[in-house]
Amino acid sequence: MSRRRKKLAGRTLDRRTLLRYTGLSLLGASGSGWFPAWAGAAHRQSERRQCVLLWMNGGPSQIDTFDMKPDHANGGQFNEIETSVAGLRISEHLPQLARRAEHLAIVRSLSTKEGDHRRGTFLMRTGQPPGGPITYPAIGSSLSKELGDADSDLPAYVTIAPFDQFGRDAYGPGFLGPAHAPLVVAARAQNGEDEQPADGSPYARLGVDALELPAGISLETVSRRRDLWRGLQDEFLAGRQVPAALAHDTAYRRAERMLRSPARAAFELSEEPDAVRERYGAGRFGQGCLLARRLIEIGVPCVEVTLGDFEGGDTHWDTHANNFDVVRRLCGELDAGWSALLDDLADRGLLQTTTFLWMGEFGRTPRINGNAGRDHFPAAWTCVFAGGGIRGGQAYGSTSDDGMEVASDRVEVGDVLATLCRATGIDPGTENHAQLGRPIRIAEGNPIDALLA
Amino acid sequence: MVLRLIIATLLVLVGPSAVCAQVDDGRQAMVERIDELLAEQWQAAEVEPAEPVDDAAFLRRAYLDLVGTLPTVSQARRFLADASPDKRERLVEQLLASPRHAQHLATVWQHRMLSRGADAEQMGAVLGVHRWLRRQFARNQRFDNLVADLLVSTGGGEQGPALFYTALELKPEELATKTAQLFLGLQIGCAQCHDHPFDHWTQDDFWGYAAFFARLRSGPAMAGAVQLIDESEGEVRLPDTETIVPPKYPGTPRSEETLGGSRRRQLAIWTVSQQNPYLARATVNWAWKHLFGRGLVEPVDDLSANNPPSHPQLFAELGEYFIECGFDLRELFRVLMRTQAYQLSSRTPYDVAPELFAAMAVKPLTPEQIYDALAWMLDAPPATDESAAVGGLADPRRQQFVAQLGSGSQDAAQFELGVPQALLLMNGELIAAACDPNRSRLLESLAAPLFDDDERLEILYLATLTRLPSEQERDSTRAFIEESDDGNRAAALADVLWALLNNGEFLLNH
Repeated sequence: MSRRRKKLAGRTLDRRTLLRYTGLSLLGASGSGWFPAWAGAAHRQSERRQCVLLWMNGGPSQIDTFDMKPDHANGGQFNEIETSVAGLRISEHLPQLARRAEHLAIVRSLSTKEGDHRRGTFLMRTGQPPGGPITYPAIGSSLSKELGDADSDLPAYVTIAPFDQFGRDAYGPGFLGPAHAPLVVAARAQNGEDEQPADGSPYARLGVDALELPAGISLETVSRRRDLWRGLQDEFLAGRQVPAALAHDTAYRRAERMLRSPARAAFELSEEPDAVRERYGAGRFGQGCLLARRLIEIGVPCVEVTLGDFEGGDTHWDTHANNFDVVRRLCGELDAGWSALLDDLADRGLLQTTTFLWMGEFGRTPRINGNAGRDHFPAAWTCVFAGGGIRGGQAYGSTSDDGMEVASDRVEVGDVLATLCRATGIDPGTENHAQLGRPIRIAEGNPIDALLA
Repeated sequence: MVLRLIIATLLVLVGPSAVCAQVDDGRQAMVERIDELLAEQWQAAEVEPAEPVDDAAFLRRAYLDLVGTLPTVSQARRFLADASPDKRERLVEQLLASPRHAQHLATVWQHRMLSRGADAEQMGAVLGVHRWLRRQFARNQRFDNLVADLLVSTGGGEQGPALFYTALELKPEELATKTAQLFLGLQIGCAQCHDHPFDHWTQDDFWGYAAFFARLRSGPAMAGAVQLIDESEGEVRLPDTETIVPPKYPGTPRSEETLGGSRRRQLAIWTVSQQNPYLARATVNWAWKHLFGRGLVEPVDDLSANNPPSHPQLFAELGEYFIECGFDLRELFRVLMRTQAYQLSSRTPYDVAPELFAAMAVKPLTPEQIYDALAWMLDAPPATDESAAVGGLADPRRQQFVAQLGSGSQDAAQFELGVPQALLLMNGELIAAACDPNRSRLLESLAAPLFDDDERLEILYLATLTRLPSEQERDSTRAFIEESDDGNRAAALADVLWALLNNGEFLLNH
């Protein structure tokens, strides 16, 4: 560690002073040394929490993960195992999460009405049925709008390796407007190969294209261009202090600051030791969880990591065939990535201030089909909360012995999202105004008290 | 019966040119009336309107509003050099008559009719609807006829309207919500689940309107073409009940009298009849917003009684005018763009309430407009307008850019840049290519020894901001270019272009 960085890390500077201080010179340097200082600054002010959404693309099988039915033919071939919480059992393929079950609140009685990928994705991500005149925002956009600081140098909402082919509407800011769109971290594919680089690195590559300067553009060029830009911009803004012009100017100023902020360094996963990167898992989800940790550390309010893509092979939760092989493999990724993230946040004192929600667009049929698969099933399925604001170490609600219906404490999507809001310190009744001018609550349901710490 | 007669008369009066010859004298009166009614409110509010706009800014505004793109450098030079007093009117006429106008209106209405989040699966519907709309706008189809055609369409030879129905999955509630929003300016969709707490729309209004779509089915596709069938049975029910809701026109008592024909035909006849006050007002309000950045009624799809217009008299008279001239959209644009209000600068020395229209609104360019304005700097322009239309919509690079810039809103005026979008414009591939001396056609052409730096600068400003640089800008930019040594002249021009493209003056319509 250089002397200069050490000196900075040892001082209590507010974020803006630190920014001015560091300027561009630290961009290439490792940020880890001073991350804790940032995180402290971000959390001092209120009981509001950060939020990590783990999105299981394709619809994960509840009966092979968190709602096992070992005594029924529908239960399939997996065994259940004990967890760190007496009486709470989950799949044998989630052994690390089982040892951390005191953090988990498993909701086994979720029931929805949409069994189509597109419609289910919209429903779960926005809390609203698809169709209709209003373009609802994804819950990540709504939460980050409340949790974020409009003057921050950090992105308010980062989504990692999203798969939006089930309808882009469900991934957007809707009527909140592009200012609340997520910053998208793309999985980097090269020449049609997978995203692992040619240099033999075993890890999935993740990056934000727009945070990197175009080829051949130096930082010197950037600052030369900025000076030219500023002159023109000031001239245009004079006499045009109107929303659209100010929004443009604000977005550019913030984007510029972000280019100089620790957010950029946070995306450099190569700064992490191999042992850490391996612990999270080498794939997109594992490396995405590692990136989520780095973003949570610097104070990004809302991060989303997706597990499951449809880019070929059995790489998603839509297991109409060969369910058990695919779920076993996905559980391996899920187990490693999420467990490592829980551990690292706990080590840094951040788990109590970070709320997790794990879910997909629907569950899967308890009955096993002729292809050893399970089909779409929204009637009775599972989502999982964890971390800050959540009363961990419990299963809430239950399904019947065959898993076909909710047996107790039925929960709807609105309740799930309202609970997430409440756990992060946001009133789910907070209203935004849709394009039709009518007030819309962030979440329509009721927070589930039993799940809240 | 009376109603049917009125409709018959209306439908006979086709031929927009014939109708508009009658209103020709009234046009100038309407233009002046608009300015007069706006000025009354400026006086009441003790507000000074902005200065009249200069030619360059008018040119840019008119192009973006009517054809959605920027003028070329030579088009701009020609217009600026033209000394005739009627050049603005002639420009508007020329743009209204151009195929690109139909193209642009089709894009705007396609976004209103179909969700913006269209992906590959829905691309067929997008293209079909767009093509149909473009043909209607190209021949300046009466707008009431366009709506009636859409409402009664059965597919077959004309797939555009049918694809609108299939995109909404033929669901009565979605078709009701959408058509009421678009053509009546009514948010009755909000009463789908419960009586609307803020206005008088009830569940009965909503489902009564939805009932007009209850008998619509898709028939067997013929040669890949969608067929729609109006059956003689089929009802809508109040949600979670068995209560059948019979058809009812919004805002009217339920009547046993039937206008004859299928339910959709009855709806079409009512929609274009004088019994329906909403179609003309909703359309006028949309056009006003398209040009002035906000509706006379805002939000534009809430023409309910407890959401009055900012200028009631103006709104009423303009609606009447639109009916009298035969629902002629081009005439509507023509009138609005001749007003002094449209020809005000967007610059004011102090804040003015936007609903006074005392200065031109500043509107963000849509992602499509940004793409189109950048793309021509990279590639050869498409040969014909037809290929531009289809090619532009299906162009994967355009789709990707639009998706990344991600406007979830159907309302272009609400498109507001966020940080991810700003980063994408600053560092993204499209602007990087446009500002790369080796890839940018614009920069490549400037490298020619034919030009001196002053001329190069003029071209850059005209190509991006549609104006010539000011003296001060000339001096400072010339100094900037000369500071870079000779080998870097191309790089310095690239820097200037980058600064112009990321500037608010480029990314906004003002």
